[in-house]
This record gives sequence, structure tokens and C-alpha cells, in this order.
Amino acid sequence: MKGEGFPPGTLERWHARRLWARAGLVYLTMLAFAILFLGPLMFAALSSLRTDPLAYPPNVVIPQLQPRNWAAAANLGAAGASNRLFGGFAPGADIAFEIGYFVPDGVTIETPTVEVPRRRPGAGLGAVMAIEYAADYARIQELRERSRTPSRAADSTPGTIVRYAFRITYPGSGPTLDRLPLDITAAIGMRYLDSTLSASRLERRGRTASFDHAAPGVLGYVLRNYVRVFHEVRSPSTRESLFLAWTGNSFTFAFWRILVTLLIASMAGYALARLRFRGRELIFILVLFAQMVPLQVLFISNYLVLRDGILSVSGFTLSSLWGQGGGMLNSLTGLVFVTALNAGAVFIMKQFFESIPREVEEAAMIDGANHWQRYWNVVLPMARPALGALTILTFQGAWNDFFWPFIILTSPETIKTLPIGLLSFRNTYGAVGDWGLILAGAVMSAVPVLILFFVFQKYFLEGVSFGGGRE
Amino acid sequence: MRARSPDTTAAYLFLLPFLSLLVIFFMYASVRAIYFSFTDYDLFNTPTWVGVRNYRALFSDALYLAALRNSILFATIVTAIQTFLALVMATVLNQRLRGIGFFRAAFYVPSVTSSVVITLIFLWLFQRRGAINYLLESVARAAPILLTFILLALTLQAVQVWRERRRGYPAGPFEPAALVVSLLLAITGTFTLQALGFVNLRADVHVDLIWLQTSATIPAGAPYWLSLPLPLAAIMLQNIFTTIPTFMLMYLAALQDVPRSHYEAAAIDGANAVQQFHRITIPAVMPVTFLVLTLSLIGTLQMFDQVAIFGDAAPLRSVVTLAYFVYNRMFPGAQTPEVGFAAAGAVSLALLTLVVVLIQRRLVRSEGEG
Repeated sequence: MKGEGFPPGTLERWHARRLWARAGLVYLTMLAFAILFLGPLMFAALSSLRTDPLAYPPNVVIPQLQPRNWAAAANLGAAGASNRLFGGFAPGADIAFEIGYFVPDGVTIETPTVEVPRRRPGAGLGAVMAIEYAADYARIQELRERSRTPSRAADSTPGTIVRYAFRITYPGSGPTLDRLPLDITAAIGMRYLDSTLSASRLERRGRTASFDHAAPGVLGYVLRNYVRVFHEVRSPSTRESLFLAWTGNSFTFAFWRILVTLLIASMAGYALARLRFRGRELIFILVLFAQMVPLQVLFISNYLVLRDGILSVSGFTLSSLWGQGGGMLNSLTGLVFVTALNAGAVFIMKQFFESIPREVEEAAMIDGANHWQRYWNVVLPMARPALGALTILTFQGAWNDFFWPFIILTSPETIKTLPIGLLSFRNTYGAVGDWGLILAGAVMSAVPVLILFFVFQKYFLEGVSFGGGRE
Repeated sequence: MRARSPDTTAAYLFLLPFLSLLVIFFMYASVRAIYFSFTDYDLFNTPTWVGVRNYRALFSDALYLAALRNSILFATIVTAIQTFLALVMATVLNQRLRGIGFFRAAFYVPSVTSSVVITLIFLWLFQRRGAINYLLESVARAAPILLTFILLALTLQAVQVWRERRRGYPAGPFEPAALVVSLLLAITGTFTLQALGFVNLRADVHVDLIWLQTSATIPAGAPYWLSLPLPLAAIMLQNIFTTIPTFMLMYLAALQDVPRSHYEAAAIDGANAVQQFHRITIPAVMPVTFLVLTLSLIGTLQMFDQVAIFGDAAPLRSVVTLAYFVYNRMFPGAQTPEVGFAAAGAVSLALLTLVVVLIQRRLVRSEGEG
């Protein structure tokens, strides 16, 4: 062996150093993987705060995350509608606003024009609403130059910094408006520097500083896209907030699916684990096949079952469990019904029941309890851990489920669950490049499952190692 | 043998809800799908028997052929890449260290998030002026600097390993302590060279790749059955990204059971990291590999969500899979539904899945005997 000629302790130190270095490198690699796997989600969550998440180049320096803008947004919200959180534009509003320009030497200094434009909010579902425009009620007052200071630009061009101030007022009475858009257009050559609130975007080659909302309040500013998700996207007929309806549907669907799964899986699992009967093997084979056959093979008939009831092919109707004409399509009941078959859940319950010693049931048997009493009073209360794990996994499955809701819940918009609703977001807003709204909706819809995951991690991760150790 | 076990009645009462669902939504549904595949049916009129016409029509249907090619390419390429990467990453992470639980949870986040959320985020990243093109452009611009860094690090590492070996230490080619020094020195060196102006960013590089709204295929000029549509490649990247963590954690669980002493013995015999991976790691996790391969192939063959969510963001032919083909023929928008045709496509998908499962069974059995 090598290394025999070393002074005592040298080789040991060398090996210790190697261990430390290896640990350091492994942590570094894990950090890199964590950034890789969490990066897209975190980046999307951050970008969902931006006015336009498609702005190029992508950037994580976001005006919405700067404390200076938070303070300004809160003050503007207070001036606009006495609402520091969500802002608005109410009668009696008196909003002081400032904007600064850098004007290179040789360029004529001109007072910019200030305008409250008639701009429709967003596109698609929001655009069909009849809305009031702030332009009809707002008045721009006292537009004047405040100061001039000689200065140099970053590229050391000599020039002057010119600041202007004005007030936006809402005289008389009228409705309280959600938004106060604002456009400030300067002369050619004047470069936008800063303003009371950072501009949402620069238009017309940087001449127009455009603000989506000049009195937003701190949440109305930072979480602008999130507020839009709730406010702008409404059902055209009932004006109900679609996102709220979808969230409600998702929770309702998850609740019923959990209840149905727990009951059916624990009953079937009990029978398969504890009772001896003919046909047991056949059921196992069927269940194995059921897990292998693609959904797309089954959905053709299952769709028709929900539409027409059972066995209505060729005019021959053996039993129709519900009425004709749409039947259980576009209903959460139908969705729960068609997704209730869950062979995996039956297996989990069966395995858990097998791990409970038979002795605990024997006392009940001596008392003369029947199978149902033994299941309901003795075994089921002991199965709380398994039922808990199953509840969490079923919730995740139901919340994320895409295929069945996509097939069954097509109209009206208010019947959809969140994943399908997000898809109609994409169809309406993706086409016009309004990704702020889509990302905000996506991030919000991911939150419940993420919370559940971080609280009950071990159930999710145990499922994985269980799968890995099975063969 | 008794004709009737005492528990039979009770058992079937307990199983009644589950079995009724199994009969209606699985058995009846399978039988009816096969029946429909031999009929002409439009969802409204009575189905009429047409024999194997639908199956014959499949192979002259351009959309079906595209779906078949896309599904097969998608399943094989994604499975190969994600299985390999998951195993390599698990090997790297197979250390008993503090705080590993946190990282495991972090890696798992993409897998618990819904397919819609992930797909929407990737659609956004893949936009023409999106983050992926920006990232590619940044890497292309920084290429001289990255290359300098890598060359410096490799040279430094080689010098250090050579010195340590000459002094009699059993240093491997990626000796950790030396690697830390090499990386730190290479970073400093690269910064210095850049500051002195020896290496610079390339300013004239622009990446403006259209990922989605395109019917381009890669590699250019490949035969039909081997050409991969670019939008499908985008879905592949996304799928690999979301599935690797799950498989990596499965591998990690299996690797934790491999005794350390095996690796130590191999190291004493002079086996390097690659040889250890080949001779110890791969055989030890073979059963998990079979499971991972099967799960991955079945999952990818039935890929549907991403195609449906991409919708009109990419041409249908470029992303259609067998699963989506079935849906598309069943609900073809303004056209008449072709349920028989859809059912024939669905049966072909089921057969493909069955073949994968049978091959896996055969392999597992021969592994067990060998």
C-alpha cells in the first residue's frame, strides 16, 4: 500500500481534508439542483408581480419589490381613495404626482403633457364588461416645473435634471373607480428619469411614461396581477368572479372525492385484507389491468355513461340512472362519480389493514359483533394514519386533476375547476401576451398543494420510497 | 373445498361500491371501446358495424401517423434521458449528510405541482422573447469565459492530482480537496483574464429560436420516423424536468441500501468512480431501474395534458400524441366526431402499453433467474 512513508498523522489529515471537501462539493451540487428544480417556479412567482412578465430581457430587479415604490403606492392610494392597501379613485381625491427628466444639453426643455387615458383593463373576459372610465372624472391641475439642476447622465452626457409636479383631482361626486391610468408624454430627447411611482412601462420610444394605476395602494401595486385575477375575470352573464368560482369548485370536488375514496377504499381494502371468499384472485387481476389501461380507452364509454346513463347503445336502455339530455356532464357530481374508481387507494388500505394484528378484532368477535361493526367500530378508528395519508394524496390528486375535468366540465365557465379555468386564462390572455394574469393565477392555484406538501412532506416522500422498494 | 366460504356474502357487500365502479367504468368501458372501434359512430346516431375499416384507415391517416411517431419518440427519448440523469444525480447525492431532507423536499416540488401550472410556466419560458432564449443567448455570449474557466479548472486539477500522487497520496482524478482549490483558483483566474481584457463576452450573438409556433423538426433532414418536432422537444424538456426528481428519490432510497463497504472494497482494488458506477451502482439498483423504466414508458406513452394545454400555441401535428389523437377525433371541434376511429386509436395505444408491460415482465423474470 501507498503512503507508508508519511510522518504520523499526515495521511489521516489528508483523508479528513478529503471528507470535508467532498461534503462541501455535495452541498454545492445539491444547491445547484435545488436552484435548477425550483428556479422556474420561483422565477415565475417573482415575474408574476411584474406589469409585463414578457418584458425583455428577463430580470429579477422588479419595481414591485422596491420599498420606495411600496411607500409611494400606499400614499397615492391614501390620496386617491383613502385606501392605503388597494387604492382607487374616489370623489374628493387629490393626488400629488411628480416626474423627473434628464435633458441633455442642446435639447429644448418643454413641459410634458399629462393625460388620464381611456384604457380598457386587460383583454378577453374583462374586456366585455361595461366599465366607467377615470378619464371622465379626473382633472389634471397645476402642472408646473419644480426645479432644474445641472447634472450628467450615466454615459457622462452633460445636461439638466428637470422636475415637474401636478395634481390629479376628482371634483364633485360620482362612482369610486378601481383604476386611474395615467400617461405622461415628454418632448423628443427628454429622457424619463423617475417619478413618484415607477412607470408601468415606457411607450413611444421612451417618450410616454405610462402608469396602469396612479393611485394603487400598496397591495394594489405589488399584487396588481393578483388583484386583476379576481377583479377583471368575471362571468359575462352573472358578473361573478370566475377565479373564486373555480377555487370553490376545486375545493368542493376535492372534498367529495376524498370522502368517497376513503369510504370505498377502506371498505374494499377491509374485505380484501380480512375476508376469505371466492373470486378474490379474479379481483386482483382485474385491478392490475385497471391500472394499466390508458384513460383514453376508458373515457369514450365513460363520457357516454355520464351523458346517457348505462347501456343506452342501440336504443336498448337497460337502466338509466339519471335523466337524458346532458345528464351528469358539466356537473361536479358526475366528476366525482367518474373519478371514484381508485385501485391504488384500495391497495394502500388493504396493506394497512393487513398490518393490524387480528387479535384486536377477536375481542369484538367474542362480543358477537358482525363484520360491519368490526370494520366500523374497531378497525377503521385504528386506520387513522392510513386514512390521513390517503386524504392528503387524494386531495393532491383531485386538486391537480386535469383529464376528467377537461373532458366533463366544458361550459359554462363557472362550472370549471382551477386547472381547467387556468387553461381558459391561457386561451384568452395568452394570445394577447398578457402573461401577468396567467402567471398570477397559476401561482395562486399551486399554493394549497404546496402548503400541504411542506406540512405533510413525509407522506409524499414515503410514497416515493415505497414505490422504489416495492419490486 | 367448500362451495361457499362463510365470508363471501359479507365480502361482496363490502366490495359492492368498488366492484360496481370497476364494472361500469373499467370492464364495461373497455368492452365498449373495443366494440366502438369496429363501428362507425358519431356520438349521436346509432353505431353501425364496419369491421376492421377503422384500423385500416388509421395507417393512412396523417394525423395518426404523426401521433404514433411523436408518442414513440417522446416515450423512448424522455425515458432514456430521465432514467439516466436520475440515476447519476442520485449517485452524486447518495451521502449521509445533515440537511439532506430539506433538499429532497425542494427537489420534489415540481412533482407535486399540477401539470397545468408547470406547463403554463414553461409555455411562458419558451416564448420567443422568453427566459429560455435569453438563457441560451447569455450562455452563448459568455462561451469564451466559460470555456476559459473550464480549461483553467481542468489544468489546475490535473497539476494538483499529479503532485499529490507523486507525493504518494491515493488521489483520484476528481479528488475533492484538490477540486475545491481548482474551482476557486479558476474563478479568480478567469476574472483576472477578463479584467485584463484577454477574454471577453461575444456581443454579436443573438438567439431568437421559435420553439412553439413552428413545424420545424430536428435533426433537419432526418427520415420521417426520426425527426422530432421542435415544440415536442420543448415538452420533452419540461417532462424531464418534472419527472427526474421523483425517479431520483426512488433511486436514492435504493442506493441507501447498498452497503458502503462495497464501494470501499472497490476503491481499494483501484476501481475509479466510473468503474464503481458501472460495476456496483447499476447492478445494485437494477430492480428499481425496471420499475422506473416501466413507469416512465407508460407515463410518457399516455402523455396528454401538455398537448391539451399547449393548444393553439403550437401546430397540432407537431405535438399530437396518441392520447391526444383519441381526444381530438372524439371531440374534433366543428367536424363530426369519429368515435370508431378514436376508439381504434385508443386500442392501439392500449396494445402499445401492453407490449411495454410484457417486455418488462419478461426482463424481470430473466433477471430473477440469472
